[in-house]
Amino acid sequence: MTKLPVADRSAVRGAALDLVARDRRAVAVVLALHAAATIAGLGGPWLLGRIVDEVSAGAGAAAVDRLALGIAACVLVQGLLSRYAQYAGHRFGERTMARLREEFVSRILALPVSVVERAGTGDLATRSSVDVTTVGTTMRDVVPTVVIAGMHLILLFAAVFLLDPLLGFLALAGLPSIWAVTRWYLRRAGPAYLAEGAATAELTEALTTTAEGARTIEALRLGADRVAYGTRRIAGVWAARRATLALRSVFYPVVEASYALPVAAVLLVGGVFLSRGMATLGEVVAAALYLQQAIDPMDRLLLWIEQAQRGIASFARVLGVGLVPPEPRGRADAPHGRRLVVRGARFSYAEGHEVLHGIDLTVEPGQRLAVVGPSGAGKSTLARLLAGIDAPQAGVVSLGGVRVTDLDPAERRRRIALVTQEHHVFIGSLRDNLAFAAPEATDERMRGALATVGADWYADLPDGLDTQLGDGARGLAAAEAQQLALARLVLADPDTLILDEATAALDPTTARRTERALAAVLAGRTVIAIAHRLNTAHDADRVAVLEDGRITEIGGHDELVAAGGVYASLWRSWHGS
Amino acid sequence: MPLRIPHPEPGVPDTSGPLRYVWWLIRRQPWRVLRGSVIGTLWMVGLSVRPYLVSRAIDDGLRARDGRALLWWVAAIVAAGSGLAWAGIMRHRTMTFVREDASARSAEVLLRRLCGLGAVLPRRLAAGDVATVGGYDIVRTSHVLTLSGPGVGAVIAYGVVAVLLWSVAPPLAALVLLGVPAIAVAVGPLLRRLERAESTYRQQQGELTTRADDIVAGLRVLAGVGGRHLFARRYAARSRALLDEGYRVGAVASWINALTIAVPGLFLAAVVWLAARMAADGEITIGQMVAVYGYTAVLVVPVWFLLEGGYQLIQGRVAARRIVGLLRLTPDRAGGPVTATAPKHPAELCDPTTGLVVPPGRLVGVAADDPAEAVALAERLGRYVASDATWGGVPLAAVDLDEVRARILVADHDAYLFAGTLRQILRGRAAAGEADPEATGAARAAGDGDDDADVRAALHAASAQDVADALPNGLDTPIGARARTLSGGQRQRVRLARALLAEPEVLILVDPTSAVDSHTEARIARRLRDARAGRTTVVLATSPLLLGHADVVAHLNAGRIVATGTHADLLDRHPGYRALVSRTGGSADGDDESVEAGRARR
Repeated sequence: MTKLPVADRSAVRGAALDLVARDRRAVAVVLALHAAATIAGLGGPWLLGRIVDEVSAGAGAAAVDRLALGIAACVLVQGLLSRYAQYAGHRFGERTMARLREEFVSRILALPVSVVERAGTGDLATRSSVDVTTVGTTMRDVVPTVVIAGMHLILLFAAVFLLDPLLGFLALAGLPSIWAVTRWYLRRAGPAYLAEGAATAELTEALTTTAEGARTIEALRLGADRVAYGTRRIAGVWAARRATLALRSVFYPVVEASYALPVAAVLLVGGVFLSRGMATLGEVVAAALYLQQAIDPMDRLLLWIEQAQRGIASFARVLGVGLVPPEPRGRADAPHGRRLVVRGARFSYAEGHEVLHGIDLTVEPGQRLAVVGPSGAGKSTLARLLAGIDAPQAGVVSLGGVRVTDLDPAERRRRIALVTQEHHVFIGSLRDNLAFAAPEATDERMRGALATVGADWYADLPDGLDTQLGDGARGLAAAEAQQLALARLVLADPDTLILDEATAALDPTTARRTERALAAVLAGRTVIAIAHRLNTAHDADRVAVLEDGRITEIGGHDELVAAGGVYASLWRSWHGS
Repeated sequence: MPLRIPHPEPGVPDTSGPLRYVWWLIRRQPWRVLRGSVIGTLWMVGLSVRPYLVSRAIDDGLRARDGRALLWWVAAIVAAGSGLAWAGIMRHRTMTFVREDASARSAEVLLRRLCGLGAVLPRRLAAGDVATVGGYDIVRTSHVLTLSGPGVGAVIAYGVVAVLLWSVAPPLAALVLLGVPAIAVAVGPLLRRLERAESTYRQQQGELTTRADDIVAGLRVLAGVGGRHLFARRYAARSRALLDEGYRVGAVASWINALTIAVPGLFLAAVVWLAARMAADGEITIGQMVAVYGYTAVLVVPVWFLLEGGYQLIQGRVAARRIVGLLRLTPDRAGGPVTATAPKHPAELCDPTTGLVVPPGRLVGVAADDPAEAVALAERLGRYVASDATWGGVPLAAVDLDEVRARILVADHDAYLFAGTLRQILRGRAAAGEADPEATGAARAAGDGDDDADVRAALHAASAQDVADALPNGLDTPIGARARTLSGGQRQRVRLARALLAEPEVLILVDPTSAVDSHTEARIARRLRDARAGRTTVVLATSPLLLGHADVVAHLNAGRIVATGTHADLLDRHPGYRALVSRTGGSADGDDESVEAGRARR
């Protein structure tokens, strides 16, 4: 399995900036409101400094009342402003989250299916659930906090500079150690938090697959086995979390110990200034208090740097999906005609394990070709090449003179449809499950298509086409799901159909009936049917026998049976003789 | 006590309510939580030391113009900073341990519940729900435990500050003591509104995640037929609905966040105002006034912690409720209490509904006109549904279910293939060794050849050796969940090999060769007989190749067994059976001619 890629730091930074840039006005409003709130918040300590000075100078209760009222007003204004700032920030975060998840899903939908298959769907599922949410909450919660705290700090330090530039420089005394340890930490945090994310994803996948395979666990009594497996994933998460905790165990204390340094420096030097008359008592006290106030935002920043690391790691995983090159847009003009030609096609999934060793095949428009052969001979791989899902490493697969992989994906799917034994019923109504194959189909046509494929169960549905299907709702049996897939095919009505064991889940009688009904509806279409049930081959115009990645026989049913070769022997053994 | 994760025995969770569940998580680690409380308190009380030291530095150093005293107090400030940093990291480490212990325990009990629920689970729960609970709710719930450390610390720090204020001026202390509870009461309704909004939001978010998973799972179908844009649009519409819900949460949450800023601020203003008046009246010194300001400013942290803790508690309660909901699911035992003992030895299985009798030690074929009836029969014989089947004369429903599962195996089409190496898929991870390279290496070293003999035999019987041979590392090749990289025929044979390897006393196979070519099918039919020699096997299929190798074949028509005998017997005597299993396909409609022609040529 090839893991899906993960974006690097600079890509994450770029994408984060892009998210901000796309909501520029909202971000500006959020920043302005937060700035206003922070400035209002600074009024309190400044007025307090005034109170200290005034009281020291022997001011009366009336002056104190006025100033105290001022402090209260500042706090109220700060509270109100920050409420609207938070609300705007929250809305921005939610919007960003919505944008992220929608884009993520469109990206998933644009992925070449071969990539998804090789990576496994588990990784993708975790990215769509855990990581998108983590990025979203980070954008929603962390960004405003970092903005507020950062702004708060800037303003506090600026205030100290305004009081006395020299004291201001001193206030920066504690910062070099913070800067150094933060650099140290950030260099290590990225990979550590990525590992943590990966471990969490593995645990989630262990839980999800355990839920999916619950019946099998009961039947094969795999309970203890799955518990052991999941427990190992839990141990993995713990190991990853311990690694990040070790980093924080260095980072936090160094930063926290540094908080006291600016206050200490200002007090010491303030004392000297005071004795030389270079500053008033009120100024030094206010500076010390401002710096003490700065501890809280610094602390918050510190706390959120950690959360941001998780968010960044998740973001890298989300963006990683976008690094997979999407299906190439069509490079070719519309094909001339519908003749399907395969010339010298070779294919291997892994280096050194060639599955198809040079296939030559021509299927005339309207012809029905059956492909038979032992399981594992490469029949499904051939189907994928014909449908343009994979491109041959050597040789050509073309439709009407154009390579199928050069066709525009949407155009290709309109012309060539592939139905496999893989059945999936989407969550949603029966109508939803049919409509995506042919969005403009009427209910009448949908019911007609279901009748064509022999979906008798339609009559038993409580709400007809509106019956909810899929996860948690009415489940369809494998055979029913397969009929649903075939009904989609009838609705999509492509020129060329590739049926890869598309009726394998039906019982033989129903399968045969369905195939014949399909044949009647799809008369004139080119059909390539891969089947192990040989009556499909019997009904076809031509039969190709695929063995070990090579076509060993090709011809009409009667002709091949008469020839007494591989097909004849398959045909005989199929009848149990 | 050192933290050991994973816990060998996570214990039995209290699922009587979300907060009871959280309490259970606390009770599992009382000493660690207590240590968290102590260090949390130490740290939080320590926060009030700094303003005290600053006020002394101002009073004794700056105001008194005493350089030495100033130097001493500043040194004390730096030392206190280091002490606080130490207490801070100890608190963080302890609380991380507390949270991780809780998270691991939640994951462990969830895992055990999921494994114990069995066949009933897919009917009760969407896999997306499990992903949300596993990926999000566990962590949210653990965050509630943070309250046990700094939360307790906050309450104590609050008391200490009140005492300190009392020493300066009793009215100030009274204001602080009465003010904070008043705020808590005032914020209460807002918190409850937030809980409601948050609950709806999380619910919809879970549904949306399930949708995304659904799209991921159906990508192959979409690749074959198209219609991707429709799914993108539909997902976007739901995403917008969630966005609106998110705005609603934000409207409430932002008020709460603003209050966590404004309330302590106003509080501070009130206290400072009183203190300044006292200083103006000469009741307290300027230094004391600054100290009062400092103490109250310190109070901002505990009050903020408590409000934040309240918010976390609410989110955690929503999350814990979802965990508890999952933990409360009970398996459907498909039967009453255990009133009978299972037969000691292999015994006859009977299904009165259809009249099927399965003698012990034989290979019985069942050909059903309606495949749904065959599946229903398998479900009854395996007791996956309420069943009146009997086993050695004893009602199957009255026997201990674990014993039924241990001895009777129903191998169906959709049996799940978990991720792992092929050996692990066939044999289970425990028996095959975990995926760790050393472990697999050790397993390989321990039993090169002999250990795999049974695996190879099962693969041979299922005619699936080629599956292992085609994989780059043979049995050690990792395969993803559902084995999507294998073809349908390969998957079916792997499932069959797994079922054979389990060597159950009774094996019920549902259409085991529906996806393989006829040569392979013929091979499987032959080998299955040998592989199950002397043991009870039921094959539900219409394949003449499989049925031809059965000791007895029963024809199931319209819910009843209408004929029993050998395959050849039934072919001769029962036209209905012949029509069902013969593969001429002439029954569907009339091209019997060509079929006959084909036959004649044969």
